Amino acid sequence: MFDLPVLLQILWTSVATSTCYVLFAVAFALTLKVAQVWNFVQAGTMGLAFYAMFAAMLGWGWPHPAGFAFGLGIAVAVSMAVEVWGYRVLRRRRSSALLLFIFAIVVAEFIAYLLSLVFGTEPQSLTKSLTSEVYLVGGVAISSWDLNALAVTAAACAALFAFLRFTRQGQFLYAVADNGDLAELYGISANRAYLIAMVIAAALVSVGVYLYGTRASMIPNAPLELMLLAVIATILGGIGSLVGAGVAAVFLSVLQSASILVIPSQWQSSLTYFVLFAVILFFPTGFRVPAWLRRR
Amino acid sequence: MNQNVTRRAWLRSLAVAAAVAAIGTAGSAAAQQTLKFGLAMPLTGSQSSYGKDQIKATEWAVADINAKGGVNGKKLEVIVLDTQADPTVGINAVNRLVNVDKVPVFVTAWSAVVKAVAPIANREKVLELSIGANSPDIAKLGDYVYTAFPLADVDVAALANYTFSTLKHKRVAVVYINNDTGIEAAKVYKSVFEKAGGQVVAYETYDPKATDFTGMLLKVRTANPEFIHLHGLVSDMPIVISQMRQLGMQQRVSTYSGGLNQQMIEKAGKGAEGLIVTSLAPNAQQNKNVGPYIERWKKAENRIPNGLPYTQYLYDAAYLVAALYEYVENNKLPATGENMRKALLAVKTFELPMTGRLVMNDDHTVRKPVNLVTVKNAEFVPLATVE
Repeated sequence: MFDLPVLLQILWTSVATSTCYVLFAVAFALTLKVAQVWNFVQAGTMGLAFYAMFAAMLGWGWPHPAGFAFGLGIAVAVSMAVEVWGYRVLRRRRSSALLLFIFAIVVAEFIAYLLSLVFGTEPQSLTKSLTSEVYLVGGVAISSWDLNALAVTAAACAALFAFLRFTRQGQFLYAVADNGDLAELYGISANRAYLIAMVIAAALVSVGVYLYGTRASMIPNAPLELMLLAVIATILGGIGSLVGAGVAAVFLSVLQSASILVIPSQWQSSLTYFVLFAVILFFPTGFRVPAWLRRR
Repeated sequence: MNQNVTRRAWLRSLAVAAAVAAIGTAGSAAAQQTLKFGLAMPLTGSQSSYGKDQIKATEWAVADINAKGGVNGKKLEVIVLDTQADPTVGINAVNRLVNVDKVPVFVTAWSAVVKAVAPIANREKVLELSIGANSPDIAKLGDYVYTAFPLADVDVAALANYTFSTLKHKRVAVVYINNDTGIEAAKVYKSVFEKAGGQVVAYETYDPKATDFTGMLLKVRTANPEFIHLHGLVSDMPIVISQMRQLGMQQRVSTYSGGLNQQMIEKAGKGAEGLIVTSLAPNAQQNKNVGPYIERWKKAENRIPNGLPYTQYLYDAAYLVAALYEYVENNKLPATGENMRKALLAVKTFELPMTGRLVMNDDHTVRKPVNLVTVKNAEFVPLATVE
């Protein structure tokens, strides 16, 4: 049972399937870092992006690039609306973090409810067939979906990194994340930074749901459950660390897949909740290498 | 005084006329009385595409029966309520059918719902006909619960024996959905296969809400089975098979009649090739009514129904209920659940248009020959018949 090809298969598949979660986690971490908001509306954005793509691709027969662009447009528009008419209003009223959190949850649930009314609750995918070409490399099955997902996720993360590191707006986002009031004093618009963060997050989750929808199927409530892993990864990776969130997402995906070697498969989905409790109890500020180990 | 007498006489005449009119109306209403039965199926939810087709089949049958004069001149009426294939919603639906619509008999499906509403049927003494659900313990749900559809210990057992004896596979994996549909049926397969002399090398389950089965499938892959039996719901099985193939698992797969639908081939694509599925309803070659029935679907809906065999049983459900009402009417019994049950046990053998002869056994079950079909070149083709 523990032979090398099996372990390599588990590792490969879990890394490949973690790509969607990386994008969801990085998006969530970005809005938390910049806007200081636990943006659970992201689950609603994910649902809207998916079903917009579904309607375009399988309903109206649009080619995939056009369908993706449509979903992306919807996700960006909704995120902007939530920021401008939701979070910004609540910030102006100096609402508490709890109120922002409740607002986000309610909006996400409402969107899930609307989607179930319009599209029903039957699992849907973005392609009629969920199979892709499979190559056997040393006993390890590598599908063309795996390769595409890894390439797309790497490109998206690289683009985000380049934007944050090498562009003026990216620098502004860091400045606002560090200290929004001080950034305002220097003429940097915090509201604009928040808006840009939400737009980037919408773009990332649109890519994520496209990848997810071409491999598995979605129901209106699924994004809320997918968000759970994003939240855990954000906390485990260290709040404020985008790289940490991404790495934690990969780690959690590998952990979940590898767990089947030791626990019954019906316990697998519960593992996420155990990890969440462990993270909150033992790593509330993220996993850090112990000081005595760092000194070595 | 004469005016008072005249007024009194006039009022008296009016009262008599009103009474006569009321009696006449009541009599006319009695003559138009419909014979009601309930149909609790998923109109919404993840199983709705199958539920809706089954409902349509029953409604067509009711229309066909009524077009031929109904039951002893009375129209048959089906009251359809949504269960979403969910036990909680099913309970609400059946409570309404029983307590508000006062049906003496109702038809339902999906094992979780059948089991959840059984206490209502037994308590209120209303006949519950399970048609489509296949969990083996449906046979033991009480005096008022009967299945008019063969349970998993018929087709799944036949499949297990066929896999061992005919296909000569000795090591199989069983993958099943973790709910009433999958749990008992998986036990049946495992038990029969092991009794035949085979070995179940992996016995894995998945959450009904899951849409990613990678982890569970990796565990099956590590067990290196020769063959895989899958027992899930119509919405998740194509995805399980697709993800299986994505992991390089090329073993042949079998499943029960829930897999006999076009979506399986569309979603699983080439991954569905070689899939073995049971069918508990006769095909067009075996029953002359099935061909025109399929043509009716193509004309009305431009497609074959989802889960064709199930729709055949649901079409016949109306004829089954009509036969029960006929017995009750002919014996001048009130249309209560008790009498409908009495009718079921008295008539016992029913000749139904789409599925042929149905014999209700004393153990609340029915037996049918099991047709095995396989996917070849993206089409379902006959493979074998197991009596």
